[in-house]
Amino acid sequence: MSDDEERVYSESEAMMVDEDEETALEIAALQQADLLPQPKKTFANRKDALAALVDEISQSGLEWIQRCDITSAAPIVVDSIENDLERELKFYEQGLEAAIQAKRLVQKAGVPFARPDDYFAEMVKTDAHMARIRQKLLSEQKGIENAEEAKKQRELRKYGKKIQQEKLKEREDQKKAVLDKVATIKKRLRSGDMGEADDFEVDIDSDDGDASIKPARGKKTKGGKPTPGSKRQRKNEKFGFGGKKRGMKNNTAESSADMSGFSVRKNKSPSFGGVGRRKPATRPGKSRRQRGH
Amino acid sequence: MATLYKTAQTEFRDVDDVLDERERRSSIKQRVLMVASRGVTFWQRHLMNDLEALMPHSRKEAKVESKQDMGVLNELAEIHNCNNVFYMEARKHQDLYLWISRAPSGPSVKFLIQNIHTMDELKMTGNCLKGSRPILSFDATFDSEPYLQLLKEMLTQTFGVPKGARRSKPFFDHVLTFSVVDGRIWFRNYQIVERDAETGGELTRNAKPTLVEIGPRFVLNPIRIFEGSFGGPTLYENPRYISPNAVRAAIRTQRSAKYASRTAAAAERDARVQANPLPVDPLKDVFD
Repeated sequence: MSDDEERVYSESEAMMVDEDEETALEIAALQQADLLPQPKKTFANRKDALAALVDEISQSGLEWIQRCDITSAAPIVVDSIENDLERELKFYEQGLEAAIQAKRLVQKAGVPFARPDDYFAEMVKTDAHMARIRQKLLSEQKGIENAEEAKKQRELRKYGKKIQQEKLKEREDQKKAVLDKVATIKKRLRSGDMGEADDFEVDIDSDDGDASIKPARGKKTKGGKPTPGSKRQRKNEKFGFGGKKRGMKNNTAESSADMSGFSVRKNKSPSFGGVGRRKPATRPGKSRRQRGH
Repeated sequence: MATLYKTAQTEFRDVDDVLDERERRSSIKQRVLMVASRGVTFWQRHLMNDLEALMPHSRKEAKVESKQDMGVLNELAEIHNCNNVFYMEARKHQDLYLWISRAPSGPSVKFLIQNIHTMDELKMTGNCLKGSRPILSFDATFDSEPYLQLLKEMLTQTFGVPKGARRSKPFFDHVLTFSVVDGRIWFRNYQIVERDAETGGELTRNAKPTLVEIGPRFVLNPIRIFEGSFGGPTLYENPRYISPNAVRAAIRTQRSAKYASRTAAAAERDARVQANPLPVDPLKDVFD
């Protein structure tokens, strides 16, 4: 033993176990945490005395079956103490190793290992407690099943939506195809291929271009909402319908540079502050003047 | 029992004496006195009840005043014929310390118990016979240091149920594991299931059994090892141990550091202002 250790030993001899010891420990901890000035502190570790004590109290002379202790082959090393899964797995492995080894040793000593199936006795946990555990396991299981079912339903709904969209697209395509057909027919008619125009029931000339797509006012489209009339549509175009209204009437660089609406004549008109064309003097002719008075 | 009476009657002795003598004659006799101090919380008491259920060779005693001289515990152990004392000392209604001592002459160890999970928790699904003997599994780290060797020996003697102990059952259906990780001793209790997990039938040859945790769980942080029972010279002192009081104090100081720095700054400013008074303005009264 080194001198250093001896000193610590004699110091600690005087220190009996009471409240003082607790405060001493606290001070030690505070010093460790750099909260108090740190005097040079040595921690007792009297290895020879400890080893002698182990020999003194050891029961290794007894048969194994009296002690039933097993030491694992390799020490536990964990990367991170915070990693619960890894740590618990290591503990489990240690226990399993011991269980397997112990079974062999117990059977070698001629003692039964597992209890027979018909041996009933009081358990550490009561039946009521085990029932609660089972209940919890079941409810957990059910929760998992429910969650999975809900997930499946969500997936299905997503799939259904997709199908619906495809159907809508198909309809749109169909409509387009029909319109194309109409257009081609019209073209052929114009070029005079079709012969008698009267045979065709639709008055093709009247509905040309986009107008043919626009349904009549108030008529319901397939979507269910009635299409507004042409006046409303114009107004919507002009004043805006939906979307942002703010700043729509503000001038922009382009709009202020736009002179298309400017006319010199209008600008010189009296309503714009111009002189305009003078009205000629309203002096009636001589005969009218003589007649009147 | 009948034979006991017979022996007692023929030799004019008390039945208890005969029983004691029989026990003494058996090759090993470990009895553990289990005591808690006053002020244990229900959680800590539950842990003690769990351990008592796992240790049929223990004798539970009424609560002891923790401020008392701990020599009383040695006397108590003697009265109850116990050679090990398992004393749970609660402090401030929150910290739990565990003393394990070999009663009359030592050595004794003081631990701090942390991370307590009792058997009541529904997460642990295992179960075992009350009073069956455990297999004590130790991590190989226990052989690396003399103090750990001593702890291993003491834990074996306290937690191990001696063969043929009263109230014990002669089967093995659980493992107690003690592992040294991070300088602390981690305690786990597993049931050994020797059934096929899927079919529920007998295990085939060479198939491994499975373990299911029973509980309780806790972590023992060794503080000191004393040569005597509840006192005497210190043989080992854990340099990495930090008392929970110190931890709490550190948290408090950290929290109060903000306030302290603000008040210090205010005081500093006051001092500075007083030290440097404003010079008198010569033009102060010009417009009056």
